Amino acid sequence: MIGPRAPSRRALVVAVLAAATLALPPVLPPEWQSLYVFIGLYAIVTCGLSLLMGFAGQVSLGQAAFYAIGAYAAAIPAVHGAPPALGLLTGPVVAAAIAAAIGVPLLRLRGHYLAFGTLAFQLIVLTFIAEAGDLTGGDIGLRGIPPLGLGSLQAVTPVQYAYVTWLAVTAVFLVTRNVVRSRPGRALRALATSESAAAAAGVPVAAYKVEVFALSAGYAGLAGAIYAFFLSYIAPGSFPILLSIQFLVMAAVGGLGAVWGSLVGAAVVTLVVQLLQEIGSLPAMPTQVPAVLSYAVYALVLIVVMLLLPSGIVPALTARAARRRRDDVAPTEATAGDDARASRLSSVL
Amino acid sequence: MPEGSEPLLEVHDLVVRYGAATALDGVDLAVGRAEMVALVGPNGAGKTTLLDTVSGLVAPAAGRIELRGRLAQVPEGRRLFPEMTVEDNLRLGAWRVRDRRVGPVYELFPHLVELRRRKAGSLSCGEQQMVAVGRALMGQPDLLAVDELSLGLAPQIVDTLAEHLQDLNRRSGMAILLVEQNARLALDICSRAYVIEAGRIALSGPSEQLRSSPEVQAAYLGGAYEE
Amino acid sequence: MTLFLQYLAAGIASGSTFALVATGFVVIYRVTGVINFAQGVFAVLGGFLAYSLLHAGVAHGLAEGVAVLITAAIGLVVGLVALGRRGTPPLASLIVTLGLAIFSYAVVITVWGDLPISYDGLSGLLAIGGVSMQRQYVLIVGAAVVTFLALALFFGRTYLGMALTACSSDQRAARLMGIDVWRMGLLAFAVGGALGGLAGVLLTPLQPVQFDSDVGIAVNGFAAAIFGGLVRPVTAFAGGLVLGVAEAMVAGYYRSSYETAIALAVMLALMLWQASRRGPTEE
Ligand SMILES: Nc1ncnc2c1ncn2[C@@H]1O[C@H](COP(=O)(O)OP(=O)(O)OP(=O)(O)O)[C@@H](O)[C@H]1O
Ligand SMILES: [Mg+2]
Repeated sequence: MIGPRAPSRRALVVAVLAAATLALPPVLPPEWQSLYVFIGLYAIVTCGLSLLMGFAGQVSLGQAAFYAIGAYAAAIPAVHGAPPALGLLTGPVVAAAIAAAIGVPLLRLRGHYLAFGTLAFQLIVLTFIAEAGDLTGGDIGLRGIPPLGLGSLQAVTPVQYAYVTWLAVTAVFLVTRNVVRSRPGRALRALATSESAAAAAGVPVAAYKVEVFALSAGYAGLAGAIYAFFLSYIAPGSFPILLSIQFLVMAAVGGLGAVWGSLVGAAVVTLVVQLLQEIGSLPAMPTQVPAVLSYAVYALVLIVVMLLLPSGIVPALTARAARRRRDDVAPTEATAGDDARASRLSSVL
Repeated sequence: MPEGSEPLLEVHDLVVRYGAATALDGVDLAVGRAEMVALVGPNGAGKTTLLDTVSGLVAPAAGRIELRGRLAQVPEGRRLFPEMTVEDNLRLGAWRVRDRRVGPVYELFPHLVELRRRKAGSLSCGEQQMVAVGRALMGQPDLLAVDELSLGLAPQIVDTLAEHLQDLNRRSGMAILLVEQNARLALDICSRAYVIEAGRIALSGPSEQLRSSPEVQAAYLGGAYEE
Repeated sequence: MTLFLQYLAAGIASGSTFALVATGFVVIYRVTGVINFAQGVFAVLGGFLAYSLLHAGVAHGLAEGVAVLITAAIGLVVGLVALGRRGTPPLASLIVTLGLAIFSYAVVITVWGDLPISYDGLSGLLAIGGVSMQRQYVLIVGAAVVTFLALALFFGRTYLGMALTACSSDQRAARLMGIDVWRMGLLAFAVGGALGGLAGVLLTPLQPVQFDSDVGIAVNGFAAAIFGGLVRPVTAFAGGLVLGVAEAMVAGYYRSSYETAIALAVMLALMLWQASRRGPTEE
């Protein structure tokens, strides 16, 4: 599939990207720095969701629940005096553990039922957080979360958080790449297209599904943990259903199962929404404009992707570009391969 | 096929695909007015696909279908609406035509009169097949396509139903396209037949001729055919 | 004891609106195989439309009726988008309806703003057997029951309704009869829109609605519909009532913040129970 020269070219691209990622934070204008952090956090969550949908063929409308669990699991010990850096461990571990526990029954549901089940799970988590006031600060939220740090080393500025975040992004992408390329990963691919065929081929379908679910929850938990330290304040209202939908939109834009797609999806959606916020907050605009615009964008992206570009927006665009490039050489062969490789969102569903 | 008159149904070079798999590959077939034609072939040959394409349920990839009249299909497995009554099932058969009177069907199958208020799902297979045929007749077809008339039915019931079909054909000139696993039965009651194999018409011709062809005898009639 | 009866009355009233929403889910699901996530939106829009009509001076009754007709038309539009491309898999349609639900937020905020609204329903109390209850409760329950019976007659006795039932029972057979399953799906969406809208106009006087109230309404309706495995309207209706009463009791005797969590837990438990009994719940 990949030509002999491809890996080195790829390595070069990755190296350039990595260098740019590292060089960027200090030179960004201050108001962009936190945006940069958020793009990284969302990319982490989206990568997990995209893995879950594209590889395990399972939909989650409650991914923000694990983001919330990670945030609280990291923040609560830190508020009580534990070293904050520990939160980077407790966040993802608790989220993954809870996902593994509920995944066993929950993933027996399919399709619509799983969609509603995951949504219900998030609403229950939010209710629990709001009610367990002693632990979580309830509706009012948890204040005074200490900055992320180990000993005297502390992350305080957005630039520092940007480095922490993008380090996490790198780790998550490496893990994901290995999972995807491993034997179980290839088996999972089969799972997304036909579960019964995978089961017939001896793939332990149920166990794999739970594992990917837990992994994706762990990613969300890690991002949530960083989020909690970055903002130093979290509340149930920070994790609405709409946030889950936003992750779904990012995954849809990026194309499922595409590691890089999740980065592009997170970046594009975050930037577009930010742009809309800025347009909406121009002096002459009524106060509701930003909200209206972002709802409209989420809605239209979901509808258009589902109906017209089921392989995701990024894969659709790259396939088109590839088609144009290869038009004079091998007109149909190459693009057919691309299309077949891109997980079709609608077929996953 | 009778010379001169335009056939009721003409299928030319029909190709049907399900995704990458080709189910029909260049099928030609015709049914004349008031003709009884059999379509026989092994499992998965494409018989149901052909009927579904003619009925408009499946879109062809290539080819031409000309239907000069109304068609109704008795689907494989009967597919009644099980939670509805027999009479409601029959009435739904008339969705395309204005006339929803069920009297004529009851005249043909008097046995159904006493079952009219029963749920279709509670009937025996033979009774269900009567309802399925009756439901198709409610659409006042010029061509009745019957998919697997004998599937799962006792031999006497099959004979009765086959007689009814022959009767319909003789008395009202309704053309019949009969898809059958039971080639013997199909060749007995139809004047012409097509043999379809792996999406292609392998043989066709008058029933007598096919009956005596060695291939047909070996593959479908289980050895020599006795009168 | 009277407290209990009052909770019971309140529960039956809100349960009746869940039942209406649930019936909408069932009607659409049976005919199209799509779970319409925008089912709660119909209720929200019904409430807002009735609110505007009432403020424009339209009389009670007429305003609600027109609002319900408009939500039926909106249901048709939702169906057109969700079923727009033939062959769209049902779960992709679910995400499309989810997209439409979010789109409705943009519309509602643009037209009506982001604050909750309400209007007066029937005022006054009605004493039945020593228990006094709000007239609005009685209206809600009555309207829900009448609607449900009318639907049962429609689906069981009219030719068009039978055709809809045929589509939900066996699409292939229905298509062979010449029934246009796609159009019937649109009709089902319109019926679902009307049912959701009716729930909304009845519910708004009891609890104010805002642009994103649809999630709670849809979750309750879906939980009720799950009682009947999404296909049995009578069980779904009963499920709505059970859920409404259970939530009212929890809210009354314990804490109101837990009432939705109860609905959700019940829904999850039912889904898991069904999945373990029948094997995979879908496909
Ligand atoms: N909906 C479908 N999707 C994909 N493949 C199909 C579909 N329906 C039929 N096929 C395939 O097309 C071929 C023809 O099937 P068809 O049902 O037309 O055969 P048949 O002659 O009616 O067989 P039988 O005697 O078993 O009824 C088979 O290989 C079958 O597997
Ligand atoms: Mg067949």
